[in-house]
Amino acid sequence: MAYGGLFVLLFLGLALFYPLGRILALGVGEGFARALANPYYWERYLWSLEYGLLSALLTLALALPLAFLLRRPFPLREVFLALSTLPFVLPTPVVALGFLALLGPRGVLGVDLYGTKALLFLAAVFYNLGLALRILLPVALNLEGPLQAARVLGASSLRAFLRVGLPLLLPALGAAGLLVFIYAFSAFGVPLLLGGPRYATLEVEVYTLLAYRLAFPEASALMLLEILTLALAVALYLRLRPYPLPPGGLLPARPWAYTLGIGAFFLLLFAPLWGLFLRLDLGALASAWASREFTPLSLALGNSLRFTLLALLLALPLGVAYAASARRGPFMDLLGLFPLMVSPVALGLGYLLAYPHLRGSLLLLLSAYALLAYPLLARALLPALRSLPPTLLEAARVLGATPVRAFLRVEIPLVFPALQSGLALALAAILGEFGASLVLWRPEWTTLTLAIYERLGRPGEAPFREALALAAFLALVSGLLFYLLDRGRGRVG
Amino acid sequence: MLRIVALLVLLAFGFAQEITVLTHNSFSLDKGLIARFERETGLRLRFLKGGDAGETLNRAILTKGAPIADVIYGFDNTFLSRALEADILLPYRSPEIQNLKATLLLDPTFRALPVDYGWVSLNYDRAYFKDRPLPKVPADLTRPEYARLLVVQNPATSSPGLAFLMATVARFGEDGYLDFWAKLRDGGVRVAKGWSEAYYTHFTLYKGDRPLVVSYTTSPAAEVYYSEGKYQEPPTGNLFPELAFFQVEFVGILKGTRNLEGARKVVDWLLSRPVQENIPTEMWMYPARRDAGLPEVFRFAPEPLGSVRMDPKAMAQNRERWLEEWTKVVLQGQSPEAVRRGRR
Repeated sequence: MAYGGLFVLLFLGLALFYPLGRILALGVGEGFARALANPYYWERYLWSLEYGLLSALLTLALALPLAFLLRRPFPLREVFLALSTLPFVLPTPVVALGFLALLGPRGVLGVDLYGTKALLFLAAVFYNLGLALRILLPVALNLEGPLQAARVLGASSLRAFLRVGLPLLLPALGAAGLLVFIYAFSAFGVPLLLGGPRYATLEVEVYTLLAYRLAFPEASALMLLEILTLALAVALYLRLRPYPLPPGGLLPARPWAYTLGIGAFFLLLFAPLWGLFLRLDLGALASAWASREFTPLSLALGNSLRFTLLALLLALPLGVAYAASARRGPFMDLLGLFPLMVSPVALGLGYLLAYPHLRGSLLLLLSAYALLAYPLLARALLPALRSLPPTLLEAARVLGATPVRAFLRVEIPLVFPALQSGLALALAAILGEFGASLVLWRPEWTTLTLAIYERLGRPGEAPFREALALAAFLALVSGLLFYLLDRGRGRVG
Repeated sequence: MLRIVALLVLLAFGFAQEITVLTHNSFSLDKGLIARFERETGLRLRFLKGGDAGETLNRAILTKGAPIADVIYGFDNTFLSRALEADILLPYRSPEIQNLKATLLLDPTFRALPVDYGWVSLNYDRAYFKDRPLPKVPADLTRPEYARLLVVQNPATSSPGLAFLMATVARFGEDGYLDFWAKLRDGGVRVAKGWSEAYYTHFTLYKGDRPLVVSYTTSPAAEVYYSEGKYQEPPTGNLFPELAFFQVEFVGILKGTRNLEGARKVVDWLLSRPVQENIPTEMWMYPARRDAGLPEVFRFAPEPLGSVRMDPKAMAQNRERWLEEWTKVVLQGQSPEAVRRGRR
């Protein structure tokens, strides 16, 4: 798969390393020491670390029991799984509206958590639970065999879990925890909107320094600090090797009562989302559909779907090529995860610097989308590829297939479910994308997320209600697409 | 699909006579007007949104020499000096200049031409203050009865936030503005990232808990305009003009444009009467042209008398320092004296 590796490298070079290098190069020099001597930035750094680590722990604490509960088929299981990934696509201001409606100064629950760390961590769990669940669930399913063996040999259920289940789970727990850490550590919207500026993360600081103040030396120093920390997390992540477990199926089915229990959990956790749907005004949805004041919903929906499809067409070969070459070498593995370590804002500015003649054309936008999406896709594909017996490929080769042909005709069909899951995650990442979308485009390219922001940018009742309706609609559409693609198989490595 | 591929090919090779306008995110004009301009001139207009007003300008400065656009619209007087000093604009004496209000012509070199103007101003929720007295002068905001009522934007990430900060500097002076903010801080002022968050999540009109918000003098009129008949009178009002900050938005031709003629046509068009009369209800600013009529709904947006005007040079020289000092006092909780002592 040398060609695949080359393809990914070429793309990364053009779409990531070169533009990023252009931005970093602006700041190299005297400013580094100055920035690192400023205690304010270290405060930001420590807070980012705290936010990342605690978010990861909290998310795992909820996702682990949930993953075990979801091992059994029960009515609406797939719906819950699809639901858990929904927050991924929701624009942060909308989520902030939902949270504040519940837990804000005049919240329904009567508790004011605005500006507290509690609300921030709640939001982190809300956003990342689905991701963690997707990593833990497949492993939890495969655990049943070993657990049963331990019980047959006389261990109690608890002892079997602690001595057999937990050690086998550790790589997946580590992987999920590190991914949540990576997302929370470099979080942008949530800390800003829900915690007020006091809880600005490093990423927020970089954004402010770059976009508002053109303070390149400081921004570069902080960016490097951020990249180093994330690289460490990624390096740890890559050292985790899952234990090869025989694939296990679902446990015996459970009746509706089970659904009610899990439903109650989701009801609580996703309360901000329900708040959004409760405020949904069908009249506003209708007026947004053919709006004359703002981008009509019909156009925004068409754009969103079209761009997502195009970006997926780019992300798919990238993700597959990357997964195929990453399973052989740790170097490719690390390199391919680089997009997760980079600030989208810095990248956007880098694009402007590196490719001024492209002027924010669709090509730049699509490559930014693909960059965001393909690691997610590949992470879903990798474990499945790794668990294929090598003899399959050898057999195909012996029978005369070229390596590429053997890969495409033998391996890919076998890992198709994992590929679908990966596509679903990539889809969610692209649909909800906003940061890179602001890397400029024509008004007639407005997507659903941008249409929401457009309305939130004007004072007035009608635009506000339309924004809420659009957000609910976005959640519905992506939930539906997600459900159709994935059907609750949900796996990510 | 095919159309997009064709478009990409066109873009890549630059066949089309295209003019790119870099704007801030709030840019909006009637689609019919844009289509008519394209028909009449044979030019194709492309609008790139560059973020907040300050961000947009920074993008242009960043790509100096190989500009990402031909024309930039939307940087304001708080950033005017930065734009001029960065030397990214070409002078253009548009024939439309004679129709513009003379007080708006802040750049004698004609590199930045005024398109529209307005005021950042405190808005209050009428329903909340129906039975309560309104603050009468800016200093009242620091009194205990107005504690925890105000939401402002972070001036580091929001242009109305920056404008409001500058208004307080102009009103209370270099020595006094930090004391004013320290008192606001102790009184529980809330800092939001940007305008929409302040307005839609913290303002009482939208179920927040703050009946005072930094917005624009035209916001009450916009509330009526978008209410679909619900409001005959604005549900909000403007507070003291002495903290209203005068903003002018400019257009300029970027050095390095590959189509100077086209860029000039775009500038003339933005200053032409049809576009100018479209600006109030699209971007909620006042037209820069003397002869442009205002829409009926603007009777709810009277111009504030005695508002704050600041010298663009002074703003350019001190902007960074004000931002840093503000951050230290309001966000990090330092004392104004300590911050003033730290000045070199």
